[in-house]
Amino acid sequence: MTKQILLIHGDTDNLTVLKNHSWHHNYGICCAVTKKESVLKFKENNWGIIVADPFIGNGDIVQDLLRIKKQTPRVPLLILAAPEKMDKAMDLFSSKAISYLQLPVNPKALNLALMGASKNIALERKIDRYSERIAELHNAQDLLNQLFEEVPCYISVQDKNLRITAANKRFKLDFGGPIGGVCYEVFKHRTTPCSDCPVVATFQDGKSHTIEDIVTSKSGRQYNVLTQTAPIRNELGKITQVMEMSTDITQIRQLQDHLVSLGLMLGSMSHGVKGMLTALDGGIYQLETGIVQADENRVTKAFGQIQQMADKIKKMVLEILYYAKSRELSYELLDIADFAKNVIDSVTPIAKENDIRLDISIPDSLGQIEVDTNWMEAALVNFLENALDACILDANKAHHWIRFCVSKNKEGFISFSVEDNGTGMDAETRNKMFTLFFSSKGSQGTGLGMFIAHRVVRYHGGTIKVESKAGKGSNFTILLPFQKPDNLEDHEIFTRDIDDKERE
Amino acid sequence: MQKKILVIDDDLNVRDYLVSLFEDNGYDVCVAGNVQQGLEAVKAKKPDLITLDIEMPGEWGPRFYHKLSQDPELKNIPVVVISGLAGYEFAVVKAVASISKPFDRDELLKIVKETLN
Repeated sequence: MTKQILLIHGDTDNLTVLKNHSWHHNYGICCAVTKKESVLKFKENNWGIIVADPFIGNGDIVQDLLRIKKQTPRVPLLILAAPEKMDKAMDLFSSKAISYLQLPVNPKALNLALMGASKNIALERKIDRYSERIAELHNAQDLLNQLFEEVPCYISVQDKNLRITAANKRFKLDFGGPIGGVCYEVFKHRTTPCSDCPVVATFQDGKSHTIEDIVTSKSGRQYNVLTQTAPIRNELGKITQVMEMSTDITQIRQLQDHLVSLGLMLGSMSHGVKGMLTALDGGIYQLETGIVQADENRVTKAFGQIQQMADKIKKMVLEILYYAKSRELSYELLDIADFAKNVIDSVTPIAKENDIRLDISIPDSLGQIEVDTNWMEAALVNFLENALDACILDANKAHHWIRFCVSKNKEGFISFSVEDNGTGMDAETRNKMFTLFFSSKGSQGTGLGMFIAHRVVRYHGGTIKVESKAGKGSNFTILLPFQKPDNLEDHEIFTRDIDDKERE
Repeated sequence: MQKKILVIDDDLNVRDYLVSLFEDNGYDVCVAGNVQQGLEAVKAKKPDLITLDIEMPGEWGPRFYHKLSQDPELKNIPVVVISGLAGYEFAVVKAVASISKPFDRDELLKIVKETLN
């Protein structure tokens, strides 16, 4: 494109030579011979290059040129000056001019200087374009960073070994700053990868996978999450990492749980009810035939079985009632030692029957506690029954024991501790044990007992501490305040592995 | 000679019930509380009929049935499924009968008698 050059020069002859020479080289030239003409031209303010003698005949235009240069610093300025004025010109304009040419000007020198200025302009334009692009890239990067950090879900990037190489703000907040940690440890507190890992599946087939799961935060809080994965490929198209995005759907699940709870519960429990009815039927049969056969042993056993089934059905109905209808707790002031003895008495026969030693520590001087007797007794019995089941199911030890200790702790709480050397729990079972309908006992469990026990303790303003290790045993510590709480907070459950040393 | 029945159920009360019921009706009875014990018992005792629960801790009933049917010597032993789990009839397709808990004892005895004769 033709450059518009403003050429200011007092010598008309020389100006004509320069103008003609420059035309030959396709420069669009506009000339000014006087200060007046120059000032008029400056006002047009659209020059590509300015070539000027600042000391033209009838008055200098130094100040005008300096002002123009300040207004449009990108327009290259070439100064023409007589030899005696060259020094002064250089002092006045110094680096503001890109070139100084002595008058009379050699047209070739001028042309070369113009070409240099032209190149300068092209370079500056290029730099401008690069700068704009870099700024755009920075903006885009900032935007992506913001999206990554602020998106309301947990995002992590993992390598083939399921090591976390990047994680967003929310992930770090709830699961710690685990860059370099492995996903299954951070998310699930497991020691081995999950069998249905969607990240592994994405590495294998390059497709996105979705899974719904329960994960445990660093504080022990559980979240229902919907997890989706996406492959991250390198320039060769090879999957180098996988992004895992988990959306917290806990509230949705809780809502669903409440909405469909009764129906779900009946469906889930029908199997247990059928088992109990069969056993009750069995008890009645044994009783009938025992009486007919005059078999005293059979009759006694049948009574025991019927009694046991009646208790189980009663417990289940209570659980259903508790879950189906939220009710106000009915607090009573009780002697703690008497209350604890009642609790342990209800499981002693089963312990004896299964040859499980009960170590009981209930001091008499514990004072009184304000609780809903029925519900708190049911909750504590539930912990003891679970300990019994854990011992009965454990075939790996010759002797089993359960320790039931009641004491006051330093923080002013009453502590009920139930410890056993039964099967223990792996991290996953430990994390899910208070979840509705989660049972590790096959047909023997309803998935309600621990859920309700946890609720009862929580509604009394208490907390539960769980320590357990698969194959070693478990220790549940239930801490309760002596008086009913004024305000209820959502108490966390703390769970952890027991050291082998501690257990042995 | 007395016919022998193997009862596989994880519920002790249900096992006791079935033992009394079958013994009172002239059968020899042995029991197992899970799939592994069931497989050991079936090899050791060679029963004439097996009653099988579906949902048990560890491996479930259909797994027992699958392993049983892999053994040419044992695969023809008739199996009666007794379970409280809905939909179990699809899990052991070749069972001679499927009975839902709580069961009618006359119906169970009739099925056992007909199968063993």
